[in-house]
Amino acid sequence: MSSSRHQQDRDSMNCAEFQERLPELFESGANVSQESHVQGCENCSALVRDLEYIAAQAKLLLPIHDPSPTVWNNIQSAIRSTPEHKTVTASSGKRS
Amino acid sequence: MTLTEQTKPGSRLTGETKRGIFKTSEVRLMAEPTQAKPMQHMRRNPPIAGEAEAIAKAQAGDAHAFETLYSLHKRRVYSLCLRMLGNVAEAEDLTQEAFLQLYRKIGTFRGDSAFSTWLHRLAVNVVLMHLRKKGLPQVSLEETLEPSQDDGPRKDIGERDLVLSGSIDRVALERAVENLPPGYRLVFVLHDVEGYEHNEIADMLSCSIGNSKSQLHKARMKLRDLLRSGQRKESIA
Repeated sequence: MSSSRHQQDRDSMNCAEFQERLPELFESGANVSQESHVQGCENCSALVRDLEYIAAQAKLLLPIHDPSPTVWNNIQSAIRSTPEHKTVTASSGKRS
Repeated sequence: MTLTEQTKPGSRLTGETKRGIFKTSEVRLMAEPTQAKPMQHMRRNPPIAGEAEAIAKAQAGDAHAFETLYSLHKRRVYSLCLRMLGNVAEAEDLTQEAFLQLYRKIGTFRGDSAFSTWLHRLAVNVVLMHLRKKGLPQVSLEETLEPSQDDGPRKDIGERDLVLSGSIDRVALERAVENLPPGYRLVFVLHDVEGYEHNEIADMLSCSIGNSKSQLHKARMKLRDLLRSGQRKESIA
């Protein structure tokens, strides 16, 4: 399909067709707000604005915070009790 | 006696753990090419100074190096667990489990992907296993990723009321993310919050890149529904 035909199809999309293609448009890196359907449709324009806003706000959610020190203490304890750790400890003791 | 001298992580377990067995099909690497950059997306897992050296030492059994890896990655792993579970105690338990699995499996890390991606895949598997144990024991990963029809987002045709832009705060968004179905939540957190690319998410979740993209869009649509309904409730009250 030629690019002009492709553009014509995009120009003539209704809301359902536009929203069907929206994930692809976002992922293509295109400026979705400038799509001809968005220019002429208040509803889809608001949708695009909201989805872009949600994606932008999501970037502000990190970081939460560190886990409590108990987590590392438990990891250390669990590692010390693993069979291979005991085996190595025992053989190390014999050598010394 | 220090762990540094006494342990050999990765020497015993190659592809299996007592609590975290996954089928090889669930950890397969996807061969699809990287797709175009998504909207306003910025990479958030750049190489970390000193990480490569710490990985090599931890693979050789250096417990201090393992602790370094824990310090470097604990916040992101914990954040993922907390966002997926919404419960501090469970999130800490799963963070602990993820790092114990890391300890057992670090010898199998070959650097085919970024370490943070590899560790995140491990943590994601721990989270998914936990979610299945809690409520979906027989459900496949694909089903875990695809919520029921009732949970999904609606098409937005002809609704001309609230516009979110500029009106939602961090707390409202956090709350809405908590209310997403687990499959949507996972892809949204990995992509939009943590900054992973779709090919990396597909790798972590053993799904297609197209599936990851589709889930992300549905997640954003569902979030919009949740945020708008929250605003409606506020305006009524």
